[in-house]
Amino acid sequence: MEPTDHRSAVGELADDLRWLEDHCRRQPDLAAHAGTLRLASALTRNVIGPFLEGQPARPLHVAVVGGAGAGKSTVVNFLAGAVVAEANPQAGYTRHPTAFLPPGPAFHWPTYIGFMGPLHRLAGDKPANADEDVYQVKRVPGDAESPLGDFVIWDCPDMTTWASAGYVSRLLEVAALADVVVYVASDERYNDEVPTQFLHLLVKAGKAVVVVLTKVREADAAALAEHFRQEILGRLPKLPDGTSPAVPVLTFPQMPHAERTDPAGAGAKHRVPLLNQILTLAGADTAARVRTVTNATKYLTTAGDGLLDVARRDLAEFDAWKAAVAAGRAEFEERYRKEFLSGEQFHRIDRYRDELMDQMELPGAGRLVGGLIWLARTPYRWTRDYVGKLVSRPEVYNLPEQTVLTAALTGWLDRLQAEALRRAPTHPVWKAIAVRFESELGPQARERFAGQFRDFELKETDELERAGKRLVDTLEKNPALLYTLRGGKLAVDLAVVGGILYLTWPPGWSLLILIPLGVSATHQAAELAVRGIVEGVRTRVRSQREDLVTTALTAPLAGWLAEWPATGGSSIEKLQQVLRRVPDTIRKLDERVRAKAAEWAATPASGGREPPDPPAHQGAHAPRSPETA
Amino acid sequence: MTAAETVPDTAEPQPLLRTLAPLLRGLERQVRAWLDGRRRFPLGMLQRAELEGLADDLRRQAEALDVDRPLLVVMLMGGTGVGKSTLFNALAGAPVAQAAFTRPTTRDPVVYFHHSVRPDRLDPALRLCKLVQHDRAGLEQKVVVDTPDLDSNDLSNRDKLKALLPIADIVLYVGSQEKYHDRLGWDLFKEQRARRAFAFVLNKWDRCVTGESGLRPDEDLLKDLKDEGFANPLLFRTTAQAWLDAAVNSGKWPPPPPADLPDGEQFTLLRNWLELGLTRLEIEAVKARGVGQLLATAARAVDAARPPDLTAEAEKVQAAWRRVLADEADVQADVLVGTLEPYQTEVEHHFSVEDQRRYRGLMAAYLRFSTRMRYSRSSLRDRIPFAGRVLPGAKVETPVEWNLGAFVQECARTAGERVLDQRTAALVNRLLVEADQKGFPLGLLNEPTAAVGRMDWRDRMTRGLIDALTEVEREATHPTGWRRALRGTLTTLANMLPEVSLVATAGILLWKFMVQQYVPGLFEMALVVLVPLLVVVVLHMLIVLLLPVRWPAIRGRFREKLGARVAAEMDRVYLPVPAEIAAALRDERGRVDALLAETKEVADWLAERQQSARVTELYGA
Repeated sequence: MEPTDHRSAVGELADDLRWLEDHCRRQPDLAAHAGTLRLASALTRNVIGPFLEGQPARPLHVAVVGGAGAGKSTVVNFLAGAVVAEANPQAGYTRHPTAFLPPGPAFHWPTYIGFMGPLHRLAGDKPANADEDVYQVKRVPGDAESPLGDFVIWDCPDMTTWASAGYVSRLLEVAALADVVVYVASDERYNDEVPTQFLHLLVKAGKAVVVVLTKVREADAAALAEHFRQEILGRLPKLPDGTSPAVPVLTFPQMPHAERTDPAGAGAKHRVPLLNQILTLAGADTAARVRTVTNATKYLTTAGDGLLDVARRDLAEFDAWKAAVAAGRAEFEERYRKEFLSGEQFHRIDRYRDELMDQMELPGAGRLVGGLIWLARTPYRWTRDYVGKLVSRPEVYNLPEQTVLTAALTGWLDRLQAEALRRAPTHPVWKAIAVRFESELGPQARERFAGQFRDFELKETDELERAGKRLVDTLEKNPALLYTLRGGKLAVDLAVVGGILYLTWPPGWSLLILIPLGVSATHQAAELAVRGIVEGVRTRVRSQREDLVTTALTAPLAGWLAEWPATGGSSIEKLQQVLRRVPDTIRKLDERVRAKAAEWAATPASGGREPPDPPAHQGAHAPRSPETA
Repeated sequence: MTAAETVPDTAEPQPLLRTLAPLLRGLERQVRAWLDGRRRFPLGMLQRAELEGLADDLRRQAEALDVDRPLLVVMLMGGTGVGKSTLFNALAGAPVAQAAFTRPTTRDPVVYFHHSVRPDRLDPALRLCKLVQHDRAGLEQKVVVDTPDLDSNDLSNRDKLKALLPIADIVLYVGSQEKYHDRLGWDLFKEQRARRAFAFVLNKWDRCVTGESGLRPDEDLLKDLKDEGFANPLLFRTTAQAWLDAAVNSGKWPPPPPADLPDGEQFTLLRNWLELGLTRLEIEAVKARGVGQLLATAARAVDAARPPDLTAEAEKVQAAWRRVLADEADVQADVLVGTLEPYQTEVEHHFSVEDQRRYRGLMAAYLRFSTRMRYSRSSLRDRIPFAGRVLPGAKVETPVEWNLGAFVQECARTAGERVLDQRTAALVNRLLVEADQKGFPLGLLNEPTAAVGRMDWRDRMTRGLIDALTEVEREATHPTGWRRALRGTLTTLANMLPEVSLVATAGILLWKFMVQQYVPGLFEMALVVLVPLLVVVVLHMLIVLLLPVRWPAIRGRFREKLGARVAAEMDRVYLPVPAEIAAALRDERGRVDALLAETKEVADWLAERQQSARVTELYGA
């Protein structure tokens, strides 16, 4: 596997998910999904990325999370074995995460581009209530060997106070990173809706969770833990692999000041069970990290569809737009057919008919005979013309083609614009279309149409010309046929004359009537035949014209209109891209994680303590071994 | 229960609040009438729900105030586990509400009220709760309500609380060290603060004073409240559990102060405020202010639902539409006339026949004959099967007895099928787009315009065609000006001269025969016929030359008339639509304005009579 390859995949997936998250935040009814998406992108950046990059399996990250005032900082202190976090009676004091490194030799701090996303590491020391997108890294003082020697302990902000909307994303960032999560709930908080939802999210992401119930009266401890197991843990979602999550529950009483401020000494009786639980969950060697990473990919794989659900509504509206465009196109074609084509006679074709009839006359010496016969047919011609005038009605007035097409285009665009305006209050997709219709879509569509129309005009003249030419050329190119026809006609004429002469012999006055009648009849037959052929051509030209409108005008324009909302860097365009890309990338990453996990299983002991001097780091978020607090 | 006997017990009538009751009822009726009335301007679902809730509140307030001594409802509100029930029990001095370590504890609200108050005087929503009566004089006019939580996993608790909140006069926002500014509670507070009085309790005070560094929760809460506009809120720091334990253990009321109270504990203060601080004057002030807040909220909500004034936009839309409609009428008239094109001979024939009705005698006979000859083909054509394909199914009778109505209807149908129906549908969209560009809300215009587009346009076009044809015919057959004189002269001549010439020729021949004994030859005999024929022919030529009835002339006039008619018909139907909507909105606006004025009147009346009482700290800025 190329190192840059997975880097770009991770970066791309994280960016896509971040974009979706922002997209959700912009739409009030989707804002609830933003948190899930943030967790997904953080899992990609903070867990999968470093793992594929080959970062060691230790240190493990322990995140302490919970509602405001539940006692997170106290629990952090108990994990660290010293008062390191500011335990403060003010609810919601902590506003950015702080990592506490165990005392002792420095170890490999995760280095990875994009690690912790938008949160950057504070160089100096700031109070925990600094409301910025940062994280701090501090060292637990002292040099005693800590039981949690290769653990980083994260003190996190809460998710319950009114200000938390502004910093809950920082909490998600750390929660995603964590290998073990300590979920702190007080006697007041343990059945609160917001923290419980958060717990559900953690379990869905496959995190190993330890619950610490704080401020519990000693007398109620067992009952409360049991109640918690039933009420809260009993309703947890299933793990990605389908099993119910096993979540240990510990209780901390409301401790006196002395116990609370001396975790290693007076408070040790509460501390030890907690440490044991965490060490149990951490397991040996690489197991914990492999579990974290594989669970993260499992979460992304199973939740992938759900994550993308937020995009579906937009795309459904987009489909509705496409349907509107298609309906408009059908109407356009219908109008062209009815308003123009049904009344159009293509008079040009009549010219070719006359030409065709002319070709049937004999050249040269034959012309003399032909002329005589023509003379004989004069009464017939007069009669024919007179009857023709009687029979034919003037045609219905047909609107000019360009007028019909322009009107149909205006109708199409108006229909779309009216639809967009009508639906603009229901969804941002339509609103975006409605806003840009008058200034962009309308003029652009007209311009494109004008261009296509010029093209279409050339083609249609060409096509008509060709159809007529073909009619004439068939004979011209085929002299044998032409002469056969010509000769045939003359022969029939002569045969008729001969027949009449023979039958009425000796010649009398009646010949003056019978002969013109006979040759007129043959001519009429020939004319009817030609007319039939020409009418066929007319019908063909009509259907060709219909096809031409479809291919040269409506199809390209409809395609352009349908895709228009998804062009020009619009959110639909990006959504489509994201929807296409995210599942692929997740699948790709999943495969690589599996491969890498198998590799780790084959060669254990790649984690643990690294040499005291970590290798040189590169990248923006690549601190060297952290300074002591 | 002996404390609080210092409450002044006055029984004098209370004109202020009692007078308010009918006013509020009147207002409620008006709001309801407006809500239920027909409206053009759509009301959003949320707006409607809000206004209906406000109408309910108006009625509730009216009923609550329409008594001698109104009851003050104090409602506890807070997250699960902050100790609402414990506080409630501590205030009651006995475990009347269930309190336990399992969360959420309280699922059904508890109502604590004086035994002198009959339960049916309580608000209907409260009557369904657990009712606990007491005999403490200090709380005689007050009803204290313990409510379910607002933040647990049991979402139905939140709904119960929200259903009860509208009844509260004073909300006691109970927080603990952990939950004093949790988002869910804070949002609810912000949503309700414009509607009722708020006092704050920070319970479990012992957990707040830990001696650790940093801002103390009460200071933090005061800071938050200050940002919300509560400069001097009533904030009580309590340890309710200790007081409840003391009360239960001692069995006395008021209980002796518990032993190890933390510094700054203020439960006694809270109790005293509830019992003594909220005197009748304060209760009235809170009630009056509550009504004032309700009126202000109602005014705001009604104002938000006030339809816009669209008169100017309607005029602009009309101007724009007029242009569009004129263009459209032009095209449609062209199409309609174009449909008549194949029947020009019939129309011409028809006109000729009509025109010839005024001739009599020889002239009439001659004209009938010549017309029949001239238009013979138009009757012939209908007997030839494939000639009538332009108007499928159209059976055109000979113009002498033709059915103009059926013929024209057929023309309009054909034109409609081919062109006009699609154009009408497109026209509606065009008009909507135009209106939107002029700033007219599309939602209002959409339906009415589409309805106009769906009208029986074919029938209208048929009528227009018939009217235009009749008019042109009348014009042709009844000319005006010099044509009229000319025509009169020609008619008179045509009706007289042939007969005169006949009689004259015959007379001359007869006279010659009688007097001169001149026997006329064949030619002279023929002159009797030929001379009148000549006269008739000459007259006919004169008529044809001077008063022509030809299709191109008819067509021009017809097109003109039809164009005017179609345009007039479209203008008549489409143009009033925006103006009608604007007028309807103006009407609705007037009604809303009246409602607003009335609300303001009541609010002003109330403001004038506001009594001074120490309640301002219950309301933020």
